[in-house]
Amino acid sequence: MQDKSGIVAENLNIGYASDLIRDICLEVKSGHIVSLIGPNGCGKTTLLRTLTGQLKERGGTVYLCGSDRSALPATDVAKRLSMVMTQKLHPALMTCREVVEIGRYPYTGALGILSEDDRIKVSDAMKRTDVEEIADSFFGSVSDGQKQRVLLARAICQEPEVLILDEPTSYLDIRHKIDLLLQIKSFASEKNVAVLMSVHELDIARNISDTVVALGEGSVLRIGTPDEVFKEPFIRKLYHIEDMDTSILGRMPWEDSEASEETQPDNFRKSASGKASVIMIQGTMSNAGKSVIAAGLCRIFSDDGYKVAPFKSQNMALNSFITDEGLEIGRAQAMQAECARIAPSYLMNPILLKPTTDRRSQVIVNGKVESDMTAAEYQCQKTKYADDIINAFDELSQKVDIIVVEGAGSPVEMNLKKDDIVNMGLAKMLDAPVLLVGDIDRGGVFAQLLGTLDLLEKDERDMVAGLIVNKFRGDSSLFEEGISILEKKGKKKVIGVVPFMDLKLDDEDSLSDRFKTKDAKEFDIAVIRLDHISNFTDFDVFEQLDDVSVRYVSDAAELEGADMIIIPGTKNTISDLKKIKENGIAEAIVSAADRGTVVFGICGGYQMLGRRIEDPDNVEEGGSVEGLNLLPVDTLLQTAKVQTNGVHTIVNSTGVFEKIRNTEITGYEIHMGKTEPFDDLEEFTSNGSGYCSNNVYGTYIHGFFDKKDVMCAVVESIAKQNGKCIRTDAAVDHDEFKNTQYNMLAEGLRRSLDIESIYKAMGVIK
Amino acid sequence: MKNRRCLIFFILISIMIVILFWVSIRLGSLDVSAGEIFGMMTGNSDDAMHENIITNIRLPRAVSAVLLGGALALSGFVLQAFFANPIVGPFVLGISSGAKLTVALAMIFFLSAGRGMSLAIMVISAFVGSLTAMLFVLLISVKVRNMSTLVVCGIMIGYICSAICDLVVTFADDSNIVNLHNWSMGSLSGVNWDEIKIIAVIVTVTLIMTVAVIKPMNAYRLGEAYAKSVGVNIMLLRIMLILISSILASCVTAFAGPIAFVGIAVPHLVRMSIKTDSPSVMIPGSFLFGAAVTLLCDTVSRVLFAPVEVSISSVTAVLLVPVVIYMMIRRNDLYGNRHDAG
Repeated sequence: MQDKSGIVAENLNIGYASDLIRDICLEVKSGHIVSLIGPNGCGKTTLLRTLTGQLKERGGTVYLCGSDRSALPATDVAKRLSMVMTQKLHPALMTCREVVEIGRYPYTGALGILSEDDRIKVSDAMKRTDVEEIADSFFGSVSDGQKQRVLLARAICQEPEVLILDEPTSYLDIRHKIDLLLQIKSFASEKNVAVLMSVHELDIARNISDTVVALGEGSVLRIGTPDEVFKEPFIRKLYHIEDMDTSILGRMPWEDSEASEETQPDNFRKSASGKASVIMIQGTMSNAGKSVIAAGLCRIFSDDGYKVAPFKSQNMALNSFITDEGLEIGRAQAMQAECARIAPSYLMNPILLKPTTDRRSQVIVNGKVESDMTAAEYQCQKTKYADDIINAFDELSQKVDIIVVEGAGSPVEMNLKKDDIVNMGLAKMLDAPVLLVGDIDRGGVFAQLLGTLDLLEKDERDMVAGLIVNKFRGDSSLFEEGISILEKKGKKKVIGVVPFMDLKLDDEDSLSDRFKTKDAKEFDIAVIRLDHISNFTDFDVFEQLDDVSVRYVSDAAELEGADMIIIPGTKNTISDLKKIKENGIAEAIVSAADRGTVVFGICGGYQMLGRRIEDPDNVEEGGSVEGLNLLPVDTLLQTAKVQTNGVHTIVNSTGVFEKIRNTEITGYEIHMGKTEPFDDLEEFTSNGSGYCSNNVYGTYIHGFFDKKDVMCAVVESIAKQNGKCIRTDAAVDHDEFKNTQYNMLAEGLRRSLDIESIYKAMGVIK
Repeated sequence: MKNRRCLIFFILISIMIVILFWVSIRLGSLDVSAGEIFGMMTGNSDDAMHENIITNIRLPRAVSAVLLGGALALSGFVLQAFFANPIVGPFVLGISSGAKLTVALAMIFFLSAGRGMSLAIMVISAFVGSLTAMLFVLLISVKVRNMSTLVVCGIMIGYICSAICDLVVTFADDSNIVNLHNWSMGSLSGVNWDEIKIIAVIVTVTLIMTVAVIKPMNAYRLGEAYAKSVGVNIMLLRIMLILISSILASCVTAFAGPIAFVGIAVPHLVRMSIKTDSPSVMIPGSFLFGAAVTLLCDTVSRVLFAPVEVSISSVTAVLLVPVVIYMMIRRNDLYGNRHDAG
C-alpha cells in the first residue's frame, strides 16, 4: 500500500524517555524537498533521528522505499538512506577524502577495501559538492562551510534514495549557504532523491521546499506548500512571537507570501521604476512570423522565471478570443499569453479590428465593440486611440516583468506611416528596442530587411536592436555569409537565423497557410471556407492526428467524400450564407446531410443550419434569409453581443455523437443574436447554446472539440460508421498539445537566437 | 604521498626491530659476541652456559618483548578508537591495574594454599580483572561524557587496585611477597618458551579479531551516529573492541606485569609518523612500533645498571611520559583540528 519511493512515517511516536510527538504522518516523495520548521526543542532533531533509526521509534512505522525500515538489515537501510547531522565532528587525522569514503561502507566487502568503481563515485561526489581541492586536507583543518560540503559529499556517495539533513546551513555564511543549498537541490532533482531537512532559516525553507512541515506544541501543526504554511499569524504563533516586533530581522517570509498571493510565487525581477522591460518584434511584411517569434520569446522569458505578457496595440484579425473578463482580443495575443503562462487580458490587445466587409471593420476597444467603421474613418480617428493604447500598456507594465510587443504589418508602409501607433510610432512611445523579422522563405530577405532599415527615419532606425532571419529551410550555417552581408550593409546585429519550424499554433488571421487546399486523408474533414470565416482555431485540434485531414473547401465538388462537414463561424452570416447558396456549396451540404454525412455548424455555421435568419436591426445586412433548413431552429440577429467563457455539458447528442453524451467541455461563445428551436427539440449543448437532430449538429460553443476525449470519440464513431478505422491513441487534449508546441517553439528559438543579447537590449540584468 | 610515508615507516620499523632484537640478545649482564651467537645458530657452540643464556633466557625474553609490546600498543590503539580519544591506554584507564589486582589475589590465594599458579589461571584471572576494570570504566563513561574525567577515574581505579595489592602484600608470606613484588614491578624476565607459545596463540587470535573489525572501526571514526547510518552494528563493534583490548592488556599483565605508557604513547607516535589514523595501517603500525619500543626499553632496563635490572615501567616512563605530556598540550594541532574547533 506504500508508495515504493521516498520515506513515509505512519502514526509515528517519537521521543526519548517519553513521547514528545505522537501520531506523526509524513511522506517525502522522490525528488521532493521537505523542510521541517519549528521552535527550538520542538522535536525536529528527534524526528530526524527517529527516521534515520538513530533513535528507536516509540510507536508507529517508518517505511523506507516501501519497506518497514525496522525490518530491513542495517546495510540495506544504509544503501537507501544517508544523512548529514548537525553535531560537529573531530575525527583525528582523517582527510576529507577518507570522510567521504565512509559513504561507500555499505557497498564494500568485509575488509572495507574500495574498488575502482567506489573511488570514482567518491571523486564524483566530491566534484559535485566542489570539495575536490581539499580532498587530501585533514577534515579538522578545513572551514565549516567546507566541512558541511564534505559531509554532503559523503552522504551523496552513499547513493541514497532518501537524504536527511539536520540544519545543514547552520554556522555557514551566505555564500556557503547558497553553495550547499544549490548542491542539495540539484542532487535531489537529478538523482530523484527524497530530501528531508530541518531548517531554522525560514526564508530558506520557503524557497527550497516543495513541502513544509511545521512542528510545535507536541504535534505536527501544519503540512503544506510554503505558501500555505508561511502565513503571518501561523508563523507568529508557531514561534511564539505573536506580539513581537520582528523588524530587526528585516523582511519576514510571510511578507513574500502575501505579496505574491495574487500572482505566482515566482522570482520577481522588476526594474526600480516598477515598470516592465520591453522588447518589440516588427516584421518586414505580414506573416513574416512576428506573432510566432513573440510567442516563443514569451515562453523563453517565462521559462527563465520572469513574469511576461504579450502586447499588440492594434490587431486586424477575424479570429478573436474571449478573455476570462468576457472581453475580446486577438487570437494571437491569447496564444502568446498562453506561452507566457499568464491569463489573457484585454490589456494585451487594446484595439482589435475585425473586417466585416472589404471596406469596413468592427472596431473593438479594450475588448468591447465600439463601432463599425470604414478604413478611412479609422485612419482619421486613430490618434484618439493612442491614449487607450498607452493606458493599457502602462497598466500591463505594472503587473509583469517583461512585455513582448508585437508590431503589425510592415513598419514602412510609407502612405500610412503618419501618426503610427502600431510599429515605430509605438516603439518610440514605449521606448522599446525593436527586433526586425524578415521572412527568407518567401524570398528577398536582404531586400526586406535592408530595404526596411533604409526606409526608416534615423531615429526609428536607432530603435532597431537587431535583425532576425525567419523561416530558414535547411542548414542555417550556410547562411553565414548572408549574416555578414546583413550586418555589414544594415549596420545591425543579426540576432539569429530561425529555422522553418513546422508547428501547429493558433494562427493569427486568414492569411494562414491552412487554407491551401490539402489532399484528403483516410479520415477527411471538410471545413467550408466562408469569405468571412472567423475563430477557425476550433479545428486545429484535429491536426495532431496523422490520418485526419482538415480541408478548407470553397468549391462544391471538393465536398465529395468528406467524412464530416463543418460550417465554421463567420463575421457575416447572411452574406456568407448567400454566397454558398450561389456557388452550390449549400446544396452539396444538404445532399450530403441527406446521405447521412455528419454536418456540424459552429456559431455562424450553426445559424446557417437553421430554417431562417432574421436581421431586423440591420446588425449585418438586414432583412431575412432562408437557412439550409437542416435544423428546426430560427435565428434572430441582435445588436447585443453574447460573450461567455466557461464549462458546458453535452446534454443530448443524437446519432454517432451518442458516445459523448454528458461530457463536459470548456469553450467560449461569441455571437450577436440568439437561435431557438421552433420545434420540440432537445438541447445538444447546455443552456440552449446548441441543438442537434440526427446527423446535423449546431452549437455556439467554440472549442467544442478541444478535449481529446470529445475529439477522439467523434472521429472514431464517424470512422466506424463509415467503415474506417482511425487510430487516436496518440491524441492529447488541445491544451496539452498546444503546450508541447509552445515548448518546441521556445526550444527552437533558444537554439537559433542569441537570447542573451535580447536580454541585454531590454536592459534586463540577469 | 601517504602511502609512501607508510611504506618508509614500515621498512624502517622492521629494520629497527631486527637491530634491536640482535642487540637485545647480545647485551646483558654478560655480553655474548656475535661470533659466538652465529656459532650457536650453526650448532657448534663450545660454551654450554652461554648457549643456555641465549636460547633459554635472552631469546624467549626478546620474543616476548616483541609479542607483548605489540599487544600492549595494539590494546592502546583499540581503546583510543573506542573512546575516540588519543590520551587513553590500558594503563591510564586502570585496566592493567585491574588485571594486576586479580592476578595478585590469585597468586596469593594459590601460593598460600600451597599450590603453584598454572599459566591458565594466571591468564584467566588477569582477563577477569581487566574486563572488570573495563566495565567499570564504561559505566563511568556512560555517566560522564567528559574524557578528562574519565582518565582521572581510570587513574583512581589504578590507585585503588594498587592499594588493595599493597594490603594483600602486607598480610602475605615473605616468600610470596618476593614473587609478587618482582611481578608487580613489571618485568619480562623469566618468560619461558611454554609461556611464549600461549602468548603467541592469544596474540594471533586477537590480531585476527582486530583485522575483522578494521572496516567498522574506520567508519566509527566519524562517530557513532554516522557509523550507524552506514550500517555498522555499533553494539557488536563495541563488544569486539572491549574484548580485544581486555584480552591484550590482560595477556601482557599476566606474563609481564603492568607495563606503563607503551599503550598510550606508541599509537600516538605511529600516528604522528604516518599522519593518519586509519585502522588498516594503525593496527600493524602500532603492533610493530610497540614491539620495537618494548624491546628497546627491556634492553635498556637490563643493560643500564647491569647486573642490576631496573623495572621496565621505569624505563618506559622516562622515555614515553614526555611524549604523552607533549601530546596532551598540542592535542588539537597534532590531530589536524583547528584551535577554534575546540
